[in-house]
Amino acid sequence: MASGDSADVVVVGTGVVGCLIAEQALDAGLSVLMLEAGPRVERWRIVENYRNLPPSIRLFHWDAPYPPKPWAPHLETRREKESEQYLQLEGPNARAYLQGYVRYAGGATWHWAGICWRLTPEDMRLKSLYGVGRDWPFGHDVIEPYYTRAEYALGVCGPSDPAQQWPPNVKRSKPYPMGPTPFGAGEHRLTEVAAKIGLMNIHAPQARNSGVSYDGRPPCCGNNNCFPVCPIAAKYDAATALPKIEAKGGRILANAVVHRIETGEKKTVEAVHHFDPDKGSHRVTAKIFVIACNGIETPKLLLFSKDDRNPNGIANSSDQVGRNMMDQPKLITDIEMAEPLWTGVGPVQSSSIMNTTQGEFRSNHAGALFRMENFARSPLGAAAALKKGLVGKALDKEIRRLSACTARLTIEHEPLPSPDNRLTLSSKKDWLGINKPNIYYDVGEYVRRSAREYTVPLLHKLAEGLGATSFQLSPEFLNSDHIMGGCIMGTDPKTSVVDPDCRAHDHHNLFLPGGGAMPSGTASNSTLTMTALALKAADAIVDQLRHG
Amino acid sequence: MDERKQRAPISPGVTERPKPSRYRDDCPTAFSLDRRELLLGGLSLVGGLAVVPTLPAIAAAAAWSQESAARFMEISSLLIPHRLHEDVGKRIGAAMSGFNPSLSEQVAGLLAIAKNKNARIVEDFFPDVPEGPLKETALAIISAWYLGVVSDAPDAEVFAYEYTLMYGPTKDVMTIPSYAVSGPNGWTSDAPPLDSMPEF
Repeated sequence: MASGDSADVVVVGTGVVGCLIAEQALDAGLSVLMLEAGPRVERWRIVENYRNLPPSIRLFHWDAPYPPKPWAPHLETRREKESEQYLQLEGPNARAYLQGYVRYAGGATWHWAGICWRLTPEDMRLKSLYGVGRDWPFGHDVIEPYYTRAEYALGVCGPSDPAQQWPPNVKRSKPYPMGPTPFGAGEHRLTEVAAKIGLMNIHAPQARNSGVSYDGRPPCCGNNNCFPVCPIAAKYDAATALPKIEAKGGRILANAVVHRIETGEKKTVEAVHHFDPDKGSHRVTAKIFVIACNGIETPKLLLFSKDDRNPNGIANSSDQVGRNMMDQPKLITDIEMAEPLWTGVGPVQSSSIMNTTQGEFRSNHAGALFRMENFARSPLGAAAALKKGLVGKALDKEIRRLSACTARLTIEHEPLPSPDNRLTLSSKKDWLGINKPNIYYDVGEYVRRSAREYTVPLLHKLAEGLGATSFQLSPEFLNSDHIMGGCIMGTDPKTSVVDPDCRAHDHHNLFLPGGGAMPSGTASNSTLTMTALALKAADAIVDQLRHG
Repeated sequence: MDERKQRAPISPGVTERPKPSRYRDDCPTAFSLDRRELLLGGLSLVGGLAVVPTLPAIAAAAAWSQESAARFMEISSLLIPHRLHEDVGKRIGAAMSGFNPSLSEQVAGLLAIAKNKNARIVEDFFPDVPEGPLKETALAIISAWYLGVVSDAPDAEVFAYEYTLMYGPTKDVMTIPSYAVSGPNGWTSDAPPLDSMPEF
């Protein structure tokens, strides 16, 4: 057996969830070993990768600056053939599960937008209030303090005026650590237009340093590059947590792909096994194991680790591991307008319309969030103007017009958990011989009805208010990269995978925190909720090791 | 039980690849600063797929003289009424000649039309450029300067980013991504009129 590596807590995955738990454990005096499937990288290299992408790839192909290692594949989209390589997708809405994430140390927060919505109390009680989906096993009052801790851990900026806050009418125990970033011209105009039809476009709370440095990272200076990478780490990404973890005595092994969770007698997890890039395997032991690989990789690993004691996969007596896969099914429209809606000022996303996510209608169809995309549209305007064969002054004029007078508006719908939306192991295997994930996805009538009767008509109204002269809706639902549900939380071990602390029902020393635990997807970006759950799990882990 | 498997056999003549460090930056070197330099005869690895430049590219690059470069800059300046960087021009011209062996002749043809009209700006002579390869090349030259690439390929060589002209017409408002020109929260919702054009 190669090396007897061991720690009090072994954390698999160095994304935001794993990193927050690691730091909390270290602060409590526990030893921590982190295993990361992919490489450690420097920020400057990602920025150079990005700048060296051709303009047709630089926008929308957020994976392109992050070429994966052979042993830690993730979705690549530069060429269509590439995108079929890793995620095996099927079902009527396979396209909506084309999930982008980064198997590098630091995880997907390398390229996230940084948006940090809290759930509303209603978001956590869909079954009781609307007769659909599942209730969370605790209320908003329980998660609120964890939201506060998460906001201070990441450095979230948001409004201090309660009238501008989300959720509305819910008292915050502490203010945001920083005030909101300013709107650019486009966001300002959208806010005015939206208000006329009863849509409230509000500042999005975001993990971005606003006006001041925070946690050793500089303030946002409007690089407008949040995805795919903040060049200066003004946006929180978990890569910045890694040196802090090491400074506190945590150890991080990169290029270490965990391929097996080993269980012993009495349903205890005894060890995890990881490959190195030479395909040698190593066994690592711990008192507590945290699998925080994201909503696809964690259930994949649990299923792949099936053994005689757990023939259906680890932590899977409920048969819910890999089921209830959720994301916010997205629709986008590209519009052309008579007047400008200037983008490219400040962060790439800085606001959203949220009041459309709530209401009695949720017993009938999904709520949804609306927003404009604020990435600079100059490359799109230029490409379109050049295609028209224009030259000289006419070319420049048309580039300016198309850059300023076109926009992309986005709808993200809330999903419901369905056991048929399921991750299983594909027969195809990756470079290490680990089965690739196969996901069946159908957004369901709850979402389709919402699009037909609610969101798309509303989007038309919004576009009309903006003076749209053309409107091109995406022909199908798309991914939002918020992977949820595959290790669903509940109090009943027969119908859920983890308990309210993200502890696996089946294995008392195994924690599965992250988006996978969320019982409701809602229409809002999931990261802050995942982070709150990570801190809640960390409290439980520390408590468990101190008191047994 | 020794779980270490046998190392994968290494081809003769290939030195053992360095082990990725567990502590330092170990991203693949496929994306290095060299990518902005012209790769002559080099292999560029993109996600494991090797992209081999064609032989004519190497031959043509050798034939792309200072004279060719100067004429390329001359026609570029006539086609595009903006500041053009000579270094970028050298690379764009050489790369374009690799894709298009007739580039030199076409540049000469375009220059002749321009001289014939005593052209100072593109509007003076562009209507006289005949449909076909000459016009296509003129538009391709303009496109290369605006976009910073000479081909549509998803792994196209990038010759310029912050100096590409596509950002010019909106530089009074829109950031060139990753090249912030403001300070902390240093932007407003002020917008200039659409019909004003920045100088660039």
